[in-house]
Parts: sequence; structure tokens; C-alpha cells
Amino acid sequence: MSGIDEYLNLVSPPFDSISSVRYSPTHPDHLLVSSWDTTVRFYEVGEKGGRESQAKAKFDHRAAVLACCWSDGAHAYSGSLDTSVRELELESQRIYNLGSHSDSVSALVYGSEIKTVISGSWDRTIRFWDPRAPQAQVSVHQTPERVYNMDIVGNKLVVAMASRLFSIYDVRKMDQPEHRDSSLKFMTRSLACMPDGEGFATASVEGRISVEYLDPSPATQEKKYAFKCHRQTIDDVDHVWPVNALAFHPKFSTFVSGGSDATVSIWDHKVKKRLRQYSKLPSPVASLAFNCDGTKLAIGVSYTWDEGEAGLKTAERPMVLVKKVGDEVKPKGWSG
Amino acid sequence: MAKKKNKQIIRPWCWYCEREFEDEKVLMQHQKAKHFKCNMCPRRLNTAGGLAVHIQQVHKLEPENLPRIENALPGRDGYDVEIFGMEGIPAPDVADYKRRKEIELGLTAGSISQPQAKRPKVENRALSEDELKAQLEAHKALMGINTGPEPVATGESSNGGAVYNAAPQTYAAPPSGPPALPPQFMPGMHPPMGVPGMPPPFPPFAPGFPGGPPPGFSLPPGVPPMFPPGVRPPFPPVPFIPPGAPPPGMSPTPPYMPPAPTFVPASQPQPHLVPGLPTPPPASHTPTQGQSQTPSAVPTKQLVLPNPTLAQTNPDLKKKTELKYTDANFSPEEHRAVHPKYAYTQPAEAPTHVAPQEETRGKKRARAEDFL
Repeated sequence: MSGIDEYLNLVSPPFDSISSVRYSPTHPDHLLVSSWDTTVRFYEVGEKGGRESQAKAKFDHRAAVLACCWSDGAHAYSGSLDTSVRELELESQRIYNLGSHSDSVSALVYGSEIKTVISGSWDRTIRFWDPRAPQAQVSVHQTPERVYNMDIVGNKLVVAMASRLFSIYDVRKMDQPEHRDSSLKFMTRSLACMPDGEGFATASVEGRISVEYLDPSPATQEKKYAFKCHRQTIDDVDHVWPVNALAFHPKFSTFVSGGSDATVSIWDHKVKKRLRQYSKLPSPVASLAFNCDGTKLAIGVSYTWDEGEAGLKTAERPMVLVKKVGDEVKPKGWSG
Repeated sequence: MAKKKNKQIIRPWCWYCEREFEDEKVLMQHQKAKHFKCNMCPRRLNTAGGLAVHIQQVHKLEPENLPRIENALPGRDGYDVEIFGMEGIPAPDVADYKRRKEIELGLTAGSISQPQAKRPKVENRALSEDELKAQLEAHKALMGINTGPEPVATGESSNGGAVYNAAPQTYAAPPSGPPALPPQFMPGMHPPMGVPGMPPPFPPFAPGFPGGPPPGFSLPPGVPPMFPPGVRPPFPPVPFIPPGAPPPGMSPTPPYMPPAPTFVPASQPQPHLVPGLPTPPPASHTPTQGQSQTPSAVPTKQLVLPNPTLAQTNPDLKKKTELKYTDANFSPEEHRAVHPKYAYTQPAEAPTHVAPQEETRGKKRARAEDFL
């Protein structure tokens, strides 16, 4: 258990792999964790050596939960292997079923501009949900492939799919997507949009991150680049791990990446530099999230099925770690 | 901790490290040796409190400088909980452990963690053909699905074979009620559901409901008899999930469940069967339905590319590279989703009679009974 002393290790973590960790948009210590143990857990994260963390609520599902997201600080949504999208009322701990896809729900985001929950699924659709409407499912949009990851900034929805496909939507005009191929040659594993809306970062199973821009003009597109990471050379053999998680810092032009190599790195995408790599964790990094004020980083640490069932036997117990971040997430010479 | 009837299922376990032991004596020996051992002298104590006092008095350490309990799980390395063998374990941890144990053993949720005595008496007389039919119709109406009279894999047309039966909509909030309210059941649609005005506050589903598949669907001929409601099927208490057993946290599904979403049964492994989105479910589901499917016959679902023209191959890498994940077409999650431990099979009989899933179970069950 050494190496994690610098982290706050949340009490009563899920007992199977973590699918996502998501911080509240309004409360810097409210954290949601969805898991393959069929739960979504809601925590109030404490301070290391100070206020204790609390497991405030647990929402049981029929099957593994693959995605979760927040809308406001009181409501959350879950997307499950059982194809359903559910609303979770955190205070009352109630679950409402909004509807379902025809295959597992793999990604969920909340479009705060349009006040709509957006779900993506392996059934090759994106669906919009308005929990207040009598018919919660507002619309269905076909996608060319199974949806793997989604992120949204403002009205721009970026969807990463199987077969290395991407679609970029304006959520107000869903009928005019811009389709792109991944600039990475391997399966897309993770995606995160820049908070300034300029672009996004995406990563593949082959230890590589690409920084891309939304503006389709050639001048802007020229700026995109990719780099290797989450690798290690052992005895002349290059070991290459998937990059499972990406998250942008809400204020700075930096982002973190987490891989199956159980490391977390901080990058400044403007100057194309790595700012820091945290010490190795006991298990792969499954998910990452910054809290709303950018002072803490939550890390979901658990087996990510890279080696199938076999890996489960040797996997460590899942952990949700929270780290207070300091100047390491600030770009060098940041003023403002 | 009072001794439990189900002791034969749950073996004594150590709260500090969650190891299991043959009997409590061995457990205590373990705790003495692993957790209550003073690291400054060879002394072994019986409890954490004993160890604390020993360290303070013998080694003159301030209480705030006490070393954490050794070999303990995170969060369980403190002195505030007085553990002696199985005694003193905080109740939430016991419950949590049992629940995990249930999942590990592939038992029905609640089979360990719920006291046996609280099992509701459920009517276990065989329903007549007509009653079954009526319930099925009522259930379908409730689910809002226009299927034929047979409980066959028609599903909704849009879902490309992903939905095997009506059941997936179990959770679906009926179109009438605003979703911000507890799901309302359409009056008159489903007599056994009780009257409107006392809607269960949760989606009508209880993973822990012990009744097994509630009546409501006629069984295909040749199916092994269902266990009468209220009686737990005799799953062997072995640490693997029997084929066809419900994945964690799920309702007990009958053992004859055919394969489900999006995947072709193993008997037809050819990947040419592409569940295109708008196409209705492939016929491959139908044969499995009418026939008897013994638990051992449940095939593992297979991953099928929805659009083979987009199939990917990983480019060649320079030599001496070990890529940790090599499948170019399916993500680790997709593989995991079809693993028997996680694979979700839509419950064909949609346990709508069953009360919601959280809160106190006893109350719920009482209510569920009312519905039957």
C-alpha cells in the first residue's frame, strides 16, 4: 500500500472495478463513483488527516454501471449495462428510470446549455433526455459506430466511437454532425474536452494522446499533435498500456492522463510538456476527475479488463483516491 | 454478534483483512499474529485495545503516536473498533461483507444478508393457464409493448435484436407520469399491482426479492420446474457463478434464459449475423425461446461487429513492443460486458410485482405480497 500515502483513500469504495468518477459541478467535495459492482456511490470527500469522508448514498442497479454524470448539484444520472438511463436523486436517494437504449449505455454527459442529459450507447445511438418532460427521451440520433466516450463543452458534443471514428455535434443542430477519423491508429480509449472549447484530447489503447481542435479550418487543424505516453521499456521491450482516462483542469490549460500502467501524468498541452508524473499506483487508473474549483483530483483505481477474466484474479481491490493538487497542475509561469 | 443460522455459508472472517477462516479459534489466532502483534517486542495481544494499552504502557508511546494496526485494509487500521474474533464488527461492514459474499457465491441477493425468518410467505400454488395469461397480458400492457400474444422474442423493432423480450422496459417510467415523480402505474392495467395512489417509490424491481421469477409468464415445455416462490434455488455455495446465474445485484432469472442483447448465441457463431440498427431482432433468438434451455446450455454471448465494413486491424508495430490491449474492434468494457459474471440478461418475466429495491426490505416485502 505504499505510494498512496499522499492520497486520501475513500472509505467504502466499490468492491468491483470503477467505471467512472465524477465531481459535482457545484460542490468541490461531492463525488460520484459508478462501478461494475452495479452501484453508483455518492461521497462527500473529506480532508486527509482532517474532516472524515462520508459515503452518503449508494444506488443499486440491476447490472454494472458504465457511466454517470451530474446535472445540478442534487441530481445525477447513471447509464447501465442493462441499457437503462436513470436519474438519481441524491438527497432522497431515489432512482427514476428515464428510459433505455437497446444496448448498454457507455457514456453520459450533461449539456448544461440545453439542460439535457445526453447518453451514448453501444447500440449506435445518442439519446437526449429531459427528466422533467413527460416523455423523458427527447430525441434519438444515430451514430456510425458504437459510442465509447463523449464529452461536451458549451454546445459542442464530441463523440468517440469504435472503429476510431469521431463525430462532433452542435447539440442545437444534431442533424449536422462533423465526422472525423481518429488521428491515432489504435482504438480510442478516452476523451476530454478543453474547458475553453477550443478542442479536445483523446487517447488510444496504444499509449498515445492526441490533442485536437474543433475549428475545422486548415490553419487550426494543422496545430493538432499526438505524443506517446504511459509506456515503459523493460529489457529492450517497449511495454505499451492503454490510456484509460483524461481530464482537463477547469482553470488551467493542463490535463491529466491515467493509464493501465497505473500512473497519472499531468500535461500542459499549450507548451507540449509533461509537468509531473505521480508515483505508481497499485492498479490501473480507470477514471479521473477534477473537482469544480480545480483543487482536487479524484482517481478511480481498479482493474480495467485489459487481460480479461484472468487479470481479475490478481487484481487489487478497487480504490478511489483523492489528491489535493498544487502548483504541479499550473502551467509554468502562469499569471492569472 | 449473534450466531447466525447461515453459519455454514459465511465462515468466520477477519474484519481487518477480510480473510476467511475455518473456525473462530483460527481467526483469533490469526488476529493475534497478524494484527495485534506489537512491533516493538514479541508480545501478542488479544485485541486492538489491548495492543494500544500495551504500547502506551510498556513502550511509553503517546496515544496519538500509536502505529496503525498492521496488515489491515485501509480504513480498518484504527483502534476505535474493538474486534475480538467475529465480535465487535460494525454492522454496516457485516452487511457489506455479506452482500459481497452473495455476489461472489452467485447467490440471490439477500440470501445471506437477509434474515431467513423475514422471507415473506408467497403464494406458491400453481397459477392456472388463464391466470397466467391474464397476468402476462397485464404485464405487457404495463410495459407498453405491442407484442403478439406469445411471450416470444419480438421485442421492439428498433433495437436490432438487442432486446430479447418485453422486459427491458421494466424500469421505464410510463409515459403518463412525470418522471420527477415516483413511477406511476397506469390504473387498471395491471390488477396485481395494487391501486394507483400507492405507487412504490421506486422502479418496480427488487433484486433482493426472494420469490424468484414471479408468475406471469408461462413456461416453455420441458423447462426444469421453477422453484416455488419463496424458496431459494439450491445454488451450491461454491465460489463461482453457475452458468446462467444472475450477475451481481440482479434479480434471479430463471435458468432457461436465452441469450440476450445484440449478441448471437454461441450455437451460431458466424459473425455474419449483423444486428443492423433498424432491423428487427434476428430470428436466431426465437428457436432458443420455445425450447428448453437447461442452465448448462446457456451460451456465452458473443461480440458481433454491427458494421463489419468498419472492422479495424491494428497496424504493425515496431518489433519488441508489448501492447497490453490488442483487440482493435471491441473495447475491454465490451468484453467484460459479455463475461458471465457481468452479462446482463433481460429478465423475461419482468418482476413487476415486486416492490422497489431499497429502503427496508421487510416493509417492501409486505407490500409486494399485497400485489400478488
